[in-house]
Amino acid sequence: MIRIRSLGFGYPGNAFRLDIPAFEVQQGEKLAVIGPSGSGKTTLLNLVSGIITPNAGDVQVADTAVSTLSDAGRRDFRIRNIGFVFQDFELLDYLNVLDNILHPYRITGALRLDGTVRARAAELAGQMAIGDKLKRRTNDLSQGEKQRVAICRALLPRPRLLLADEATGNLDPRNKAHILDLLFDNVDSHGATLLAVTHDHELLPRFDRVVDFAEFQSGAAA
Amino acid sequence: MPDVKHTASLLAIALLLILAQLRTAEAEDRLQVYAVNYPLAYFAERIAGDLAEVRFPAPADVDPAFWMPDADTITAYQAADLILLNGADYAKWIPKVSLPRSRLVDTSRGFKDAYIRQPAGVSHNHGPGGEHAHGGVAFTTWLDLSQAAQQAEAIAQALTRKRPAAKERIERNLQVLQSELLALNERIAEIAGANPGRPLLASHPIYQYLARRYGLNLRSVMWEPDVLPSERQWAELKGILSKHPAKWMLWEGTPAEENVARLRALGLASNVLDPCANRPETGDFLSVMSDNAKNLEQVFQ
Amino acid sequence: MIDSLYVAWRYVTFNWARSLTLIACVTLIAVLPLSLELLLDESERQLLARAETTPLIVGAKGSSLDLTMNSLYFGDTVPELISMAAVERVSETDLALPIPLSVRFQARGFRVVGTNLDYFDYRGLRIAEGRNLGLLGDCVLGARAAAELGLAPGDSLLSSPETLFDLAGVYPLKMRVAGVLAPTQSADDLAVFVDVKTAWVIQGLVHGHQDLRDVTDPTLVMDRSDGTVTATAKLAQYTEISPENIDSFHFHGSAADYPITSVIAVPRDEKAAAILRGRYVSVDAEAETQQILVPGEVIQDLLENIFRIKSVLDAVIVVVGTATVLALTLVFALSLRLRQREMQTNFKLGCSRATIARLLGAEIVIILTASALLTGLLLAMVTHYDEPLVRALFIH
Repeated sequence: MIRIRSLGFGYPGNAFRLDIPAFEVQQGEKLAVIGPSGSGKTTLLNLVSGIITPNAGDVQVADTAVSTLSDAGRRDFRIRNIGFVFQDFELLDYLNVLDNILHPYRITGALRLDGTVRARAAELAGQMAIGDKLKRRTNDLSQGEKQRVAICRALLPRPRLLLADEATGNLDPRNKAHILDLLFDNVDSHGATLLAVTHDHELLPRFDRVVDFAEFQSGAAA
Repeated sequence: MPDVKHTASLLAIALLLILAQLRTAEAEDRLQVYAVNYPLAYFAERIAGDLAEVRFPAPADVDPAFWMPDADTITAYQAADLILLNGADYAKWIPKVSLPRSRLVDTSRGFKDAYIRQPAGVSHNHGPGGEHAHGGVAFTTWLDLSQAAQQAEAIAQALTRKRPAAKERIERNLQVLQSELLALNERIAEIAGANPGRPLLASHPIYQYLARRYGLNLRSVMWEPDVLPSERQWAELKGILSKHPAKWMLWEGTPAEENVARLRALGLASNVLDPCANRPETGDFLSVMSDNAKNLEQVFQ
Repeated sequence: MIDSLYVAWRYVTFNWARSLTLIACVTLIAVLPLSLELLLDESERQLLARAETTPLIVGAKGSSLDLTMNSLYFGDTVPELISMAAVERVSETDLALPIPLSVRFQARGFRVVGTNLDYFDYRGLRIAEGRNLGLLGDCVLGARAAAELGLAPGDSLLSSPETLFDLAGVYPLKMRVAGVLAPTQSADDLAVFVDVKTAWVIQGLVHGHQDLRDVTDPTLVMDRSDGTVTATAKLAQYTEISPENIDSFHFHGSAADYPITSVIAVPRDEKAAAILRGRYVSVDAEAETQQILVPGEVIQDLLENIFRIKSVLDAVIVVVGTATVLALTLVFALSLRLRQREMQTNFKLGCSRATIARLLGAEIVIILTASALLTGLLLAMVTHYDEPLVRALFIH
């Protein structure tokens, strides 16, 4: 699913530097990325999703050389193929739960919002046990409920690749496990690939593989 | 036959109705003219003819100068096309009501410089600011028939302004009236001229213009024809007679027999000079003035 | 576009306080100058309408504006007085109908206008209740004066003394309400009309009292001599004119000397108006104590001055409006900064910068549309109620 070769990236005017000689994730794999803060884990997710482009090397996702696409091309690819779950949920407080879930369909022309999508959103919300809260404001929800809304938003377009950046970081232990269960169930049921950045070591055994970003800094990971 | 009669009746009724409508329309076209005294009403009737409906609503038994109309009558005056005023502060009610100035006709305005001003019987003032007399203008202007003719002319001018199309007719009527007034004027002048300076007495101070115009040597007292004077008034009369040896007392109306008798005892005969301010029981203004002239003939024999 | 409007609508309604504030600001900037324009136009129309239906005014030399405002709108400033001789002067020319005005006194806050019946005919005033002026002491109320005072025909109205401590002895006159006029949407609605002679009664120039010939109380008579009775100040004057005492009312001195504030002269035609105006342009300007003016010209001059002020006002509004727009722009820019995270999220979710701009633009469109609708509504109300608004705000 993901293939990175000879990647080099740095932010202008910043000493940070990420160099990945090689990195691969298989289709359907559930990969956890760990590492110290500032090691470039979120940067990796941004490179894979096409939000930023590398200074050197190439990034291929689902046989598409994302790093060589134009801005519009990367955006289009991201919308159609990648779902993002953020640590801070990044929900919009002026939209209710349903509108938050449907939000990607309203802000891009690549996705078409119709009755089928609305029905699927309701179904997905039901699966996430927030089906009765569709009209509620997100500020009225618990942390766990908010993250489930974010997951529904990410999964609704049926992405081939799901990127989760510290998706359980702000949750209590009970919710962490539950959210992970939901992520894994949906990824499995759609045959999607999961690339999750996490600090929760107790969750690592549940992943297929764990990559430590410290290896990239030492040059040993593959 | 009955059908023909029936039709004829209907036609007659229809004709009558049409005529009535025409007359009503004509009546609606007629000017509404109100006067404050009878002489002006008479002049207006003579000059306007059927051009105007002339009204003088004061009751027959009041002196129009001191009459106060009621609210409805005031409203009627206000609605008139022309309101004929005598001028010379005649109608005491005029300053106390609201009338449209645009429709007022001051008939003696043309000779206002010739008004006779006189001290009032009792004047009053409020404090040391100075004496003020009120009502000190003699107002029986029409008794000088040359002035009456001028008042008639003022009426004619006002009518002409309202009905310019009838100018010739108005002028014609005015000339006839004026010739009659001036003829009478000359006759009285001739009568009085027979014995100029003859001392005369008047029962009421209302003959000022008559006296001036015809050169009468006239002194007045303040008596009413049907009221017996008080002893003080008789004493006042005697005092006047001592300096003004008149042989005739001229009354504004038929005097009480007792007054006549007592005056006779003082060597005074009585005769009537009707100022004709109100509508006479019989006759009209000119016939009354003509009677006055006849009475003056007696006085000046 | 629909989706952008939907998202923008949600944002605007969620932040309703901020949105309402923005709408209010934008509406105010739009409504103020436009309303002012509408109301000033209406003011001009009303002022001019009354002035243009009044051909000529004669009054004492002095401020033409004071004379006009007092004569047309019964303004508070009383011009220098003239006398009834001014009425005679116009009448004798036979060029115009003179209508006297005495606009000096008040009755319970409403201007007492002394005039004659010709004024009612000339202004086309119609009696709605009761009757017109009849006897001395009658008054006829303008529609609004009657409504605000709660008076009807048959009621009484006391005139107000000119000064609080009126030691000169001008007693309030108890006037009879004879009638109430139909509304005219002019200054006449707020007036208390009396015959000019009644105004003189209020002033004390015409009065009634006991017949001094019948007075027996020695404290009422200062002196009796030679047919003259001098009364003391104790002699009470009637403060109400009734059918019982009206005969006692009398003038002291010549009525021609009695004061008025102005004369409305209604000329026969334009030629007569020109000739009449010429009569007041004396070779010896110092000897001429009166002026004759065309109210339309005076009001036009006044309006031109007002418009000069209006230009300044317009400039001020433009500056304030610009400052407000700048402030709103700053507020918007600051709010964008606060929404940086939201825009980043949208970007990460696949929203293009153009779409982000469209989302923000849609919010502005919603705000501006709401403001436009509110502005339209307010302007429609101002247009509909412009007459009474002008009367309430500018022309009392």
